Amino acid sequence: MDRQNTAGAMSDTQLAQLLSQVRAGNSDAWGDLYRQYAAAIFRFCRRVLPTREDAEDATTEIFMKVKQKLATYDSSRPFTAWLYKVASNHCWDTLRRRRIRQDLETGDLEKLPLEHPDPGQLERLQLEHTGKEVRTGLAKLPDRARMALVLRYYADMSYDEIADTLGVRRAFVGVLLLRARHQLREALGAGGASAAGAVAGRRT
Amino acid sequence: MSHPDDSLHAHFNNRIDDHFDEMTGLLYLEGQLDAGRARDVSAHVAACGSCRELLSALEKEAIWLHEALTTDEESLPAHLAAKPERGSIGWGWVVAFGLGVGGAYTLWTGFIQPSLTQAAQAGFTQGNVLTMLFFTGAFWKGWDTMRTLPEFMAAATLGMVAIWLLRRHWQRFTTIAFVMGALACVLGLPPSARAAEMERGNPSYTLPAGQEVNNDLIVVAGRARIDGDVDGDLISFSSSLTVNGHVKGDIIAFGQEIIVNGPVDGNVRVWCQSLSLNSTIAKNVMAWNEQIALDEKASVGGSLMTGGATAELDGHIGGDVLALVGDLTINGRLDRDLTVRGDRLTIGSTAQIGGKAKYEGRGQPDIASGAKLASPIQITIPKSGPDYTRVTYYWHQVLLWGANFLFGLVLLLLLPGFFSDAVHQTRRVGPAVGFGALFLFATPIAIIIACITIVGLGIGISALLLYLIALYAAQLFVGSWLGEQLLGYTVGIGPAVARLAIGLALLRVLRMIPFVGPIAGFIIIIWGLGALVLAAYGRMHSQSSSPVAA
Repeated sequence: MDRQNTAGAMSDTQLAQLLSQVRAGNSDAWGDLYRQYAAAIFRFCRRVLPTREDAEDATTEIFMKVKQKLATYDSSRPFTAWLYKVASNHCWDTLRRRRIRQDLETGDLEKLPLEHPDPGQLERLQLEHTGKEVRTGLAKLPDRARMALVLRYYADMSYDEIADTLGVRRAFVGVLLLRARHQLREALGAGGASAAGAVAGRRT
Repeated sequence: MSHPDDSLHAHFNNRIDDHFDEMTGLLYLEGQLDAGRARDVSAHVAACGSCRELLSALEKEAIWLHEALTTDEESLPAHLAAKPERGSIGWGWVVAFGLGVGGAYTLWTGFIQPSLTQAAQAGFTQGNVLTMLFFTGAFWKGWDTMRTLPEFMAAATLGMVAIWLLRRHWQRFTTIAFVMGALACVLGLPPSARAAEMERGNPSYTLPAGQEVNNDLIVVAGRARIDGDVDGDLISFSSSLTVNGHVKGDIIAFGQEIIVNGPVDGNVRVWCQSLSLNSTIAKNVMAWNEQIALDEKASVGGSLMTGGATAELDGHIGGDVLALVGDLTINGRLDRDLTVRGDRLTIGSTAQIGGKAKYEGRGQPDIASGAKLASPIQITIPKSGPDYTRVTYYWHQVLLWGANFLFGLVLLLLLPGFFSDAVHQTRRVGPAVGFGALFLFATPIAIIIACITIVGLGIGISALLLYLIALYAAQLFVGSWLGEQLLGYTVGIGPAVARLAIGLALLRVLRMIPFVGPIAGFIIIIWGLGALVLAAYGRMHSQSSSPVAA
């Protein structure tokens, strides 16, 4: 997976040039950079935050932060990774402040048993639901679960980056993602895409 | 890449015969297993059809998720097409400044200026605007001008709602700017305390007869005795104060027992246990005390306003009398209107009342036959407690609910994050109630202390306003919490508004229940106030310690 929907056709050299111009205070360069990434960041915010208005606000605020913090960006790292880090920190901070009560605590989550999935049902689920339905299902998830899925499958963040953003142990990221997938399956009406007989079936 | 914590994953590594579980499958696909474990899984997958099937399903799910999330469904809104610049935020500040100036102008023309005029007419000689507002505006002469305050508040509320509606263009800085502007407006009137003579008595202070202080005199002592003259205001914080000399300004006093035997050219404003006025007071008297006695030889040129347990007015009062007194006895001459609210009213045979007299109280007034009244007393004996049989009572409750809801709506739209935090904190019932009780009682004490020092008066009054707003806001958080218990939680402003409306309606109904209602109201205020305090603390704490992005 690539860092999604961002750099488009811009090469690394072009990007480096653009960034140095932005740092030098070139307003046009800043406009170019914004146009290059704004749509992707807006969609990212749209996936993560509850309303369109929140996503619009967040997009502008994130880019203002980007402009302020650009001096701290380490050019040896991919720019999009850094950009998504800023965006995800901003969105997570916004959500965290709202303290959505549906979020389960880490301890609770670790103890929750996961039902074994039925691969057949899982594949049927994928066939039966459109992208839009998935996004609708995603919106019903608790913040952290939604955030984890978006960070991983939209922003293509590594486990380390996700752990850092969400403030959890790295080893917990896998658990979080798996749990989020189960919750999404449930939200899409598949009851976790699990089947009582799935395990027994695999034994035979 | 480091290996995930074994202890954490032990739970998920439960093998089912030789098969691996879903967690292991996911970590394998995502390249999160260590090399040895990955080899085991690979070997197993090569030989096991059902595990291959599981891996395939999980892999497809990842791709499916990726595609679903990255599919374009909405383009960038048009108003976000332009790059954000600091300059665009300047509009917010410009608007906030404009609103601030408009609000300040309204406040000045509608509230401060009339109060200043009245204060000047009343001869109030305090050197700063806020002091005058405090003493002459809010507590006495300013009742009429206070009517303009709701108008100002309504205009400000409309302004805030407009800002919220337009925030797409101005961003949240506008709100911040507006709030900061409003605060600056409140605090921007610096108290300019006039130099005054300060005297500390240990334990007592006496200004000897024949001596004159040509300035304001501030006395802090156990017992204070003023036999000499004061050409200025006398401000006293003494357990006992006796004034035998001539005070050419006002007397402002806090204490246990205050006796005024000497003439006062200005006003007398006191908070004490007992007050005896035995001389001529040229202007007004405002007294909050347990008992007040106006001697038959005493005279008050202006109005008298008093609140307390007992009052005996045997002297002459030139202006209106407003008494919120349990037991009031009148034997003297009142030239103008009398308004009484209390338990008992006795009008003696020597009493004369020149204006209209209104009395609202539990018992019938006792009026001696010799008393001279310009017109019959208008008597109202209110029923104790709310009258549940009257429609107006329920209409009044609906209005109260509407006011609560409107205020909550503005707060919710302006500060959604903070509102949500405060509602969240109501779940911590113990700490919320504890902190609520602490702040409910400690804040007024702190405010009084701030007000005692003249320099701190501005801060004290600002804090008082914030305190009153906080008390009023307290029920919103408990209401929202209650709504959440009933409706459940759904993300978004719409559901939050619904929770607020339902919760407040239920609280209103709860408060209408006889006996239980007032107790519930008190608990709600403490609980909500505590939640607000905890949320504010949490917000400050998180702002000071939150990690900075990248």
